[in-house]
This record gives sequence, C-alpha cells and structure tokens, in this order.
Amino acid sequence: MGQVVVLGLISGGIYALFALGVVMVHRGTGVLTFANGEVGTAGLFLAALLVDGWEIPLPFMDNPTLPALPWPVGALAAVLFAAGLGCLFELLVVRRMGVSDPVAVAVATVGLALFLLAGEFQLFGESPKELAAPVDGTVEIAGVLVTPTQIAGLVLAIALGFGLQAVLRRTDFGLGILAAAQDPSAVRLVGVPLSRISLTVWGAGAALAAIASLLVEPTVGVFGPGYASELYVVGLAAAVVGGLNSLPGAVVGGVTLGIAESAATRYLSGIGLSGLRYVVVLVVLLAVLIGRQTIPDLLKRLDEQTGRPAEARA
Amino acid sequence: MSRPKVPGVLVALVLAAVLPWSLGAAVLSDKNALLCSAACATAIAAISLNMLMGYAGQISLGQFAFVGVGAFTTGVVTSVDQLRLPWVVGLAAAAVVGAAIAFLVGLPALRLRGLYLAVVTVSVAYVGWQSVFRVEWIGGGSAGKVTPRPYIGDSPISSDTGFLTIAAVLLVLVWQVDVNLTRSRLGRAFQAIRADDQVAASFGIDVVRYKLLAFTISGAIAGIAGSIIGTAFGTVTAGTFDYARSLLLVVIVVIGGLGSRWGVVTAAIFATLLPDLLVALFGAGIRGLDLVINAALLMYTLAQHPGGFAGAVEEAREKRKRRKGGEPPLPPTRPNLPALTRPVGMPPVPKLRARTAVLKATDVSVRFGGLQAVDSASLHVDRGTIVGLMGPNGAGKTTMFNAITGALTPDTGRIELLGVDVSHLPTHRRTALGMSRTFQLIGLAKNQSVYENLLIAQHLAAPYGVLSALTMVGPSRFYERDVRTRADEVLAGLGFGRYRDAQVGRLSHGQQRIVEIGCALVTSPELVMLDEPSAGMSPAAAEDLAATLRDVRDRLGRTVLLIEHNVPLVLDVADELYVMDAGKVIADGEPVEVVGRPEVVTAYLGVAPQKQEVNA
Repeated sequence: MGQVVVLGLISGGIYALFALGVVMVHRGTGVLTFANGEVGTAGLFLAALLVDGWEIPLPFMDNPTLPALPWPVGALAAVLFAAGLGCLFELLVVRRMGVSDPVAVAVATVGLALFLLAGEFQLFGESPKELAAPVDGTVEIAGVLVTPTQIAGLVLAIALGFGLQAVLRRTDFGLGILAAAQDPSAVRLVGVPLSRISLTVWGAGAALAAIASLLVEPTVGVFGPGYASELYVVGLAAAVVGGLNSLPGAVVGGVTLGIAESAATRYLSGIGLSGLRYVVVLVVLLAVLIGRQTIPDLLKRLDEQTGRPAEARA
Repeated sequence: MSRPKVPGVLVALVLAAVLPWSLGAAVLSDKNALLCSAACATAIAAISLNMLMGYAGQISLGQFAFVGVGAFTTGVVTSVDQLRLPWVVGLAAAAVVGAAIAFLVGLPALRLRGLYLAVVTVSVAYVGWQSVFRVEWIGGGSAGKVTPRPYIGDSPISSDTGFLTIAAVLLVLVWQVDVNLTRSRLGRAFQAIRADDQVAASFGIDVVRYKLLAFTISGAIAGIAGSIIGTAFGTVTAGTFDYARSLLLVVIVVIGGLGSRWGVVTAAIFATLLPDLLVALFGAGIRGLDLVINAALLMYTLAQHPGGFAGAVEEAREKRKRRKGGEPPLPPTRPNLPALTRPVGMPPVPKLRARTAVLKATDVSVRFGGLQAVDSASLHVDRGTIVGLMGPNGAGKTTMFNAITGALTPDTGRIELLGVDVSHLPTHRRTALGMSRTFQLIGLAKNQSVYENLLIAQHLAAPYGVLSALTMVGPSRFYERDVRTRADEVLAGLGFGRYRDAQVGRLSHGQQRIVEIGCALVTSPELVMLDEPSAGMSPAAAEDLAATLRDVRDRLGRTVLLIEHNVPLVLDVADELYVMDAGKVIADGEPVEVVGRPEVVTAYLGVAPQKQEVNA
C-alpha cells in the first residue's frame, strides 16, 4: 500500500508538471496543445547533446564535436530551447491562424508533434539515447528507492501548482494570463495585450514540459523519439481531470492518475495486459467526463455540503 | 438529380480490377503493387477520418486505432491457428468490429466538446497501440499477427498485383459509399451538426443518433482500411498502428482539405508514395524526411490555407470564374414564396380548427444560476396569426424560444404544440410535429451552399434508412427527387436562383436571413418562430419582410411567432403582442394598445412617463 502511494506520487508529480503546462496554455488561450510532450523530448535530445559532448549529426557536412557540459547547463539549455520552440510555434502558426476554432489550433499542435517526432527520428535514429542523472544516490521511502530528481519533480509540481496562482495574481499581466481565455475583452481593456499573454503561455507550457521530461528521464536513464509524448498523454488527462482551468486541480489530477496507475500496476498486472497506464487514463477520463465530476466540481460539492460558500475557496 | 452515376462507378471498378494486371511487372513491380495497396488503404482510412472531422466536425486523433482494430480482427478471423474463416468474412468482421468500437468511443462524444473529444481519442490511440494490440491472441505478440491472403478456389492470391486489385476495388466502393452519403440526408445531417447542434435539432435532426452514426460508419470504413493493410503485408504488429500513424492521418486530411473527398484521397496517396519517391530521388539517407515535410505542410496549411489543397484549388477556380463573369446581379428583395404543401415524407399536421391554439406555453420558468431568465411566463398563439414578442435586451425572449423548441429544459412549465404536450420531447421531435425556428445569429450551415441548406432543412421530408442512403438504392432516390424539387421551388420563390450554389457565409446578413426564413418554411410547418428576423436588415428590406410575413400568414395560412425589436414592423404585422421584461410577461393584447401601456414604456425607457401618449 505504502509502495503504491510512493510510486504513484513520484509519477504523479511528473504528470502534474505536464498538466500544469496544459492548464497554462488553456487558461491563456483556450486551446489544448498536443505537442508539448514532443517538445519536452526535443529538449532532452539537446540536453543529452550538450552533456555528453555529442557529435552533431548534421547532414551533408563534417560533424562538429561539442565539449561536454555539466548537467545543469544542459538542462537550462533544454528548458530555454523548449520555451523557444513554444514561442516560435505561437508566432509562426497560432498567430497566423487568427481568431480561429480552438480545435483547429489543436490540430496544428498535432502537426508540431509529428514534425518534432519525425525530425528526431531523422537526426538521431531509433536507438535509445542516454542522459545520466544529475545527482547520484537514493533514499528509501516505504520500501521504494527514490532518487533526488524524482523528489524534485513532486516538490516542484506541488510548489508550482499551489504557488504559481498566488504569484500570478500579484500583477496585472499575471491576472491577464489567468483570465485571458475566459474574458479576453476584459483583459484587453485593462491594457494587457493578448498577444503577449499567448506568447508567454505557449513558452511557459513548453518549458514546463521540458522540466518534467528532464526530471523523469533519470528514472530509466534512456530515452528516444516519442519518449515524453507517452507521458504527456497522462498529463493531458490529468489536466482534464483537474478541470482544465485550475493549477492546483492539475496537480491533484496528476497525483490521482499516478496513484491509480501504480495501483493498477500492482494489483492488475496479473491479467497480462500491457500499457496499463493508458487503460487507467482512458477509464478515469471517461468516468470524469461522462459523470461531469472534475476535481473542482467535487470540491464545490463538498463545500456545498459543509455549508461553506464555494467562492471562499477560489 | 440525385441519381448516382452508375456507369462512372462501373468504369472505375473495371479500371481498378484490370489496370494492375495489364501494367505488367516492368511498370508495376510486386514491391510497387504492395505500396499501391497501402496507398489504397490509407486513402480509405482518410475517407473515414474525413467523414468524422470534415463532415460531422468530430475530431479524432486516434483514427488509426480503428484501422488497427480492423487489421487484427481480420487476422483473428482468418488466421490458420484461430478461426480459419474465409477472407471475405474477415473483411466483414473488420467493418463490424471497427463500427462497434467506434460506436463505443462515440458514446462519450455525445457529451463532450471538441477538445475533450481530442483528449479521449488520443488515449484511445494509446490504449490500442500499447495495450489491446499487444494482447497475444489479438496482436500475435512480438512476432505479429499473420493474416493469410484471400483464396480463389484452392489457391491464395499470393501476388501483390493480385491483391492490389482487391484493394483498388474496395477503394472505389468506399468512395462511392462516401459519395452517396454526402448526397443523402445522412451527409446533410452531419454537415448541420458540424455547423451547430441546436441548429441541426431545429431542422428535425436527431443529433445523438447522427453523431453516433458518424462514428459507426467511420469506424466500419476504418476497419476495412485495416483489413487491407493487414492482409497486404501479411504480418502486422501493434507498432504498425502507433500513435504517430493517427497523427499522420490527421495531417493528411487537413492538408488534403477537410470535407473534400478527392482532396483527402489525393493527399493520402501522395503521403504513402512520398517516402519511396524521396528515396528514389535523393537516396536512402533521406528516409523519414517525408513525415517532417508532411508535418510542416500541415502547420503551413492551417496558418495560410485552412481549406487545404482542395480549398486552394477551389479558390483558384473561383477567381478565374469571377474574372470571366463578374458579380451576379442582386436578387429581387421581395421574395414571392411558393405555396408549399406538406412534404409526402412527413407526417401530416394534426387537423385543427381555426383560432385554436397552435402553441400554448404555461407558467414556463428558467433559471441560470442566480438569474431568473424566464419567470412563469405564458404564451398563447392562435392558428393563422402573427404574434409578436417584444422586450428589452435580457428580458428572456430568446430563452423563452429555447424553452418552446426544447433547446433547453425549463425548470417548470408546460409546452403544448398543436394540442400535444411536448414538454418532455427533444427538439427534433417537436420539429417533426410541425414547428420551425430561426436563430438570432443565423441558424444555417454557413460553409454550405444556399441550395444545400434548403436540403438540410428538409431532413424530415426524406425519411429513408441508412442503408438506402449509403447505396442510393430504394426509397432514397424517390425522396431525394422530392426534396430537390422543393428546394428549387423555394429558391425560385425567394428570387435566389442565381445564388443557388453560393456559400451562405458569403452572402450579406440580410440575404442570409431570407435564406434562413426560406429554410424555416420549406417543410411547410404549422408554426414558424422567428428570432429577430429584421436585425441587420435595411429599412427597405424590413418592409419587404413585413410583406413576406403577411404572405406566410394569409396566403400560406401559417402561424408566426416573432421576436422583434423593430416596433413599426411589429405594429405593422402582428395580430397580438406579448411584452416581456426581466423574465415576466408584463403585457399582452392588441399591439397598438399594448405598446402604449405605462408598464411597457417603463420597461423600455426605465422611467414612468408623465402621460401615456406613446404611439409608435
């Protein structure tokens, strides 16, 4: 039981980080992005390049070799690179689509995901790449060996999920991010340009995905094209379970899915079905969406039952 | 005419069957034949996704999961160590199981907005690829599923050229089914749902049924595509149907042009042949670059040409036409509507005596959170009258309309239509009884032509089944002729003959209004409900509207319920006037008298007037 919870919290933290990026983009623009998983993987490739001093496999040229850099430098570069990708996508594609259907923008992100995935295959091939963990050593919690990066992932997710909103509320721009999708004209009226909000959340969402990817990668130690996309799906689901607009909800959703997954792995692996993670995701998603009971809904119901006004929580 | 071009299909079928054989190995090597079979399968899969996304507007980012279902179903049914049934059975089973799974995925879609549906279908793609297809008896484990080729007599069709014949014939058949679908009430119902659920329901379309049908038919076609892929390659693994394939299929239909059959099929064939084309041109080092190119093309398409390849071609063609012909002249502003009888396909309107109530709404209340939008309001509309409904913004007029049509369920109250209690019926059933409505923001499929909209509006006048629609055999042919004749009559009556094929979204607001009213009248309903028809019209056009409304009442003998802000218009045409304010009916009676009442003036101007001499 303790093991199930600890394992669930560890993977839940990563899902939550991805989900936070999903929620940021959704609150700022009303759009869901399906690309950030692959943006995270692209960041991992850059980090691995810099940390290992890889030869850059450029086509039609001599391959230059880079000096090996320390992990934090590689990680920072990966996060900045991912944020840059997110911003570039916003500038080159989303902005040119004008005021269009959010589903159309979602389809455009599918294009970005496939573009990056195919590009990674093209440049690096299918064989897995290694990126060593930044810090060695493990801690034993409830019989599970936990690494520092895993703890960092969970702590960061909780801190961002419950702290980011408070920070954003301090400035007009931050408030604009929180309100942009819900009431764009009000945001424009207080003088916050929507285009800058859009650019910021696309960059921030991508950066969060890169951070999540960097923190989860050492758990296995190898990755390849499509690596983070496979985790990002769970992040998407976690954001939906969390109500899609709530940063704390995203964290709770991520942890819920993480624990459900580890419980399923522990108790259902006997039935011989692989990929239980996705079965859990689908079941939970359908239950939440069809029952229309996301985490904010449940909290509201709880508040109503205990007699407190729901607004007090917001 | 709706008659399917049978000769055209036959020619295509013969070509599909003969061409692969006659080309010979020099032109069509076995390797290329296999590639062409894959292209046929991808084209069929693209048609299936286009049906969902392009026609019905339901996003699916996991379509290749359904393709995989088809492939493995055929495998299980035909494989030597499993069911060992003939290949044709395997193909049919692929379609049936694909349809069943898609139906199940479609169930939650009924309650989900687009983006949620996208997330659910992504997870379906992952569950298929990572879980279900990896189950030993389904996907054959790491060795993969071995699917034998179909047999003719005792010998299997082992040559890839031979199998290409089957794949090509299936592509032609699926193409024709898709053609039939778009020419039938089915395709039109999908288009209406894509435009708006409520608008579709107001045309009598059962939104739940048609959304599920879109998923089911699309799933069956995807299953057929999978069956071809599985059999063509002989062995497929779970990895053949990975997530990236689903994404690529989305890329294909968007680049080809959502909603365009030939566009998506061209894109699918191009995308399948592109990798080998690139390798042939630039050498083996380039393999994989096709995906990069395709994905980049998708983003470029969405940013620059949302209509895709087919849309760009269409635009170019129109530009050329415009340079040649110039703009068509404006239609006459005053429509002369034909006296339409109730379509044969629709149940007759119950016989009513004159001056009996067509609509009786009693004590209707609707609450939105803290706002009492409608507060025990009652309406009574007599047959053969024009009844006006006025009130300041936010008075609850449109909410009342929505309660009457069933677009929302009131908290309390009873709605009677033609003497039938419809309080618990969904919108499309109320429409079938003899009601129609227009919307404040134009309830039409704006990316369709005027003519197509008049056909969509006659959904109930063409009551034939799904099978008849997909084959264009049986009752569908008769009813299609009927609704097309009627559409042409109305078109002529509106004076919109020249705009027959013009996209509704490109007409002026006032013109769209006229088309919408035409759509509301085309099935000859007993009660026509119009939500601010004169909004956005010029004063002259509004005067013509008054004449049209009187025509509807006096010549066609219909009943009109009218929400209107244009006081002169209401006073001109209405026999009775209701005024609402803050959710309540505050006055009703003879129009000129009602607008003079102090409470009505107060509702509009906010102050009690000194003297009630307001005669508009």
